[in-house]
Amino acid sequence: MGAKEAVRRRWAALGWAYGLLLAFGVFFVAPFVMGFLASLKTDPLEWPFRLAFSQVSPKNWAAAWRLGQAGSGDPWLGGMRPGRQVALEVVYFVPRGVEPTLLAEIPRRKPGAGMGAVFETPYASDHVTLEGPIPLERRPAHQEEGEIIRYRLVLRYQGEGPFLERVPLDLEAPRGMVLVEATLDPTRFERRGRVASWDNVTPGLLGYVFHNYVRAFRETRSLETGESLFLRWTLNSFFLAFVKVVTTLVFASMAGYALARLRFPGRQALFLFMLFSMMVPGQVTFISNYLVLRDGIFGLSKLFGVETLLNTYTGLILSGLVGASAVFIMKQFFESIPREVEEAALIDGATPLQTLFRIVLPMSTPALGALAILTFQGTWNEFFWPFIVLTSPREIYTLPIGLLSFRNAYGQVGDWGLILAGGFFSMIPVLILFAVFQRYFVEGVNVGAVKE
Amino acid sequence: MLRVWLILLALAGLASAQVQVRISGWGGTDIAIVNGLLKEVVQPKLDRKGIRVVYQPIEGDYTQWLFNALSAGTAPDLFYVDIFWSESLFASGRVEPLDGYFSKQELAEFLPNLIQAFTYKGKVYGIPKDFNTLALQFNKDLFDEAGVRYPNQQDTWETFEAKLQQVQSKLKDVAGLCVVADFARFGAFAFATGWKPFDAKGHTVLDENFRRAFEWYTGLPRRGAARFAQDLGEGWTGGCFGGEKAATAIEGAWIAGFLRDKAPNMRYSTTFLPLDPVTKRRGNFIYTVSWSMNAASRNKPAAAKVLKALTSPEAQQWVLERGLAIPSRRALANNPYFQRPGKEPELNRVVFQGSGPQGGNVYPFKFLAYGGDWMRPINDALLAVMTGQKGVDQALRDAQAALDRLTGRR
Repeated sequence: MGAKEAVRRRWAALGWAYGLLLAFGVFFVAPFVMGFLASLKTDPLEWPFRLAFSQVSPKNWAAAWRLGQAGSGDPWLGGMRPGRQVALEVVYFVPRGVEPTLLAEIPRRKPGAGMGAVFETPYASDHVTLEGPIPLERRPAHQEEGEIIRYRLVLRYQGEGPFLERVPLDLEAPRGMVLVEATLDPTRFERRGRVASWDNVTPGLLGYVFHNYVRAFRETRSLETGESLFLRWTLNSFFLAFVKVVTTLVFASMAGYALARLRFPGRQALFLFMLFSMMVPGQVTFISNYLVLRDGIFGLSKLFGVETLLNTYTGLILSGLVGASAVFIMKQFFESIPREVEEAALIDGATPLQTLFRIVLPMSTPALGALAILTFQGTWNEFFWPFIVLTSPREIYTLPIGLLSFRNAYGQVGDWGLILAGGFFSMIPVLILFAVFQRYFVEGVNVGAVKE
Repeated sequence: MLRVWLILLALAGLASAQVQVRISGWGGTDIAIVNGLLKEVVQPKLDRKGIRVVYQPIEGDYTQWLFNALSAGTAPDLFYVDIFWSESLFASGRVEPLDGYFSKQELAEFLPNLIQAFTYKGKVYGIPKDFNTLALQFNKDLFDEAGVRYPNQQDTWETFEAKLQQVQSKLKDVAGLCVVADFARFGAFAFATGWKPFDAKGHTVLDENFRRAFEWYTGLPRRGAARFAQDLGEGWTGGCFGGEKAATAIEGAWIAGFLRDKAPNMRYSTTFLPLDPVTKRRGNFIYTVSWSMNAASRNKPAAAKVLKALTSPEAQQWVLERGLAIPSRRALANNPYFQRPGKEPELNRVVFQGSGPQGGNVYPFKFLAYGGDWMRPINDALLAVMTGQKGVDQALRDAQAALDRLTGRR
């Protein structure tokens, strides 16, 4: 084989490698990117899919920032406070022969689905007065016969009143008149382009770009306390994941150590039994587990004055203190630690527990790290079992179950933006975890696999 | 010290005197509705009777949850029953017949069609909480732009189709109607011909009448009056309507909430479904949900009181005035809400009246205990013909064979 041939081969190999990587990248990352972009859109089901839409245009970012600032002093989340005013400019093209009449209105608008449909929130139309549209400038159009008119609209919030989360606006023009430019692009056009409609003219930057995300937090309120349910669910998920990581680490390392190092009768049988329990899918045991929780673990919980463990975190945590696979991972890892280290501890007079916590565990950070990450990720995404145990009230849901309730509330009216946003939001912690602790993920698979 | 004990004792006595009644329904928007209803109407009434209502909404697959809970003995005292799967539940004997708790007069205050829908083997197993029927929504802008007269309640299939054709040909980028391969919509037209889903023996016969409706409905896209919803990237007629891809829609009152978000400024109006040109009648479905009682409930008398409060005139008035659902009581037909101006009261009025004489041949949306299995052969036939995979003859023959296997006709 000549040098030329070798070079050719190397390039071919490189080509294959990068080609494959690129193909995989497109396969896995593209849906992710498209999903994220869609979650920003007003209509996430928009077809054909556009990459350039109003939420990604810097002009709108600047306008949203400025309008939010003017409306409430909060450039991020916007809204409108008493004593403030915002101004908006729109430019229309009016073809020759059409009388330019522009009607503006602050509509009385109520969400059609979800909690928003039932909660009474203050209406902007009751508090904000609209001035205009005032024609500012008229000039003939270049391309077509007709003229270009620039209008100005001023929204004033006079007197006292509540804070308004959003101020909608509708502009109605006769057929033929076309909106060519606006300070802030309208949320949607209706009635075949005649009505330009803004859901909120004081959105703030986040409120504009991450419209659906903000809605997810704002529109899901607890009926009792009025607090954001979505936030509650997120905190619940964090809490449960945290508790489960701690219990798993403690119990898996203790059990794993006992199985790896201590000699006691029935050890092998116990290990085999544990392996066996790993092979039984959760769907087989969930009914009996459910009944056990329902009766408060054979009535034991009644000693503490709790009738049933359904709909409680105690039940959920107790039933998932530690998994067999976690014990397995720790056992295998402990077996890879040289015995001599522990013997040295023994000579120094350490008890098995002291050996475990003082000597072995500090040496096991890779395994513990991997286990913690895998457990966190598993608990964060867990759906089936919490879904069965936690049914009500809604305040105790975890994020995945909460997302399901989104689907029920908003999916039936085709409001997918909120669901998509919720789904993306629930992904963020796992994503961060993965990015930061990537190394451990890979190790987690290897831990215990290689023995000396 | 003694006084403290006495107060504690008294409190304990009060607590034990209060009866708890658990109620459940599905999640989504219903949670807010039921909660509001309980807080503002039902609970204040029941406080005097020493009854405390505990509401547990269920997210996810409600049907599955209910059947499981009834078997596990954890089911609540009162729960929703959807008409669609009601019969298989009533047949299981786990639902309490309500004839003993409601007098004939009390039952007669509800729309007879609805009470009939929840009657199984002569006994009433549920009190309808609300209902829906189908109606025809049309976009006034699009009809104006095409210069076509609005659909009205005198329209027959033929005149209605002619209007749709004109809209579609004049506007080019708008369909007259977008049709779906779903018996839940098409069925209303089949009923208009006088066809019945089941004969006296419980068999389904796709007769000449059914065929007439089938040919008309599936032929709409070919004759230039409609387009297939999937071709427009939508899954239901309301989706096309909200996106102004179609000038009309055939939906119930649930479309109002969707349009409020999707197209708040749309100028739409509602009328009844068109008449069959031969029988001069129309057909319709009733989609309804009841409050039913657990046969294993430990406090049935209290549960019955809660049930009455939940379906009381005040409760239904509360729900109606907020435009959240359509009440099941006859007396509310003359409620001033229905006469209010605006597109949503009009929609609700037409949907309400769709269950009565103006609805024509009205059937509840249930198919004995077969559920979705019964609709599937017909939906397959609709899809096959609309997408051009089969001819009408072939599709109906296949559907008939599948239905025969299901109902044991041959």
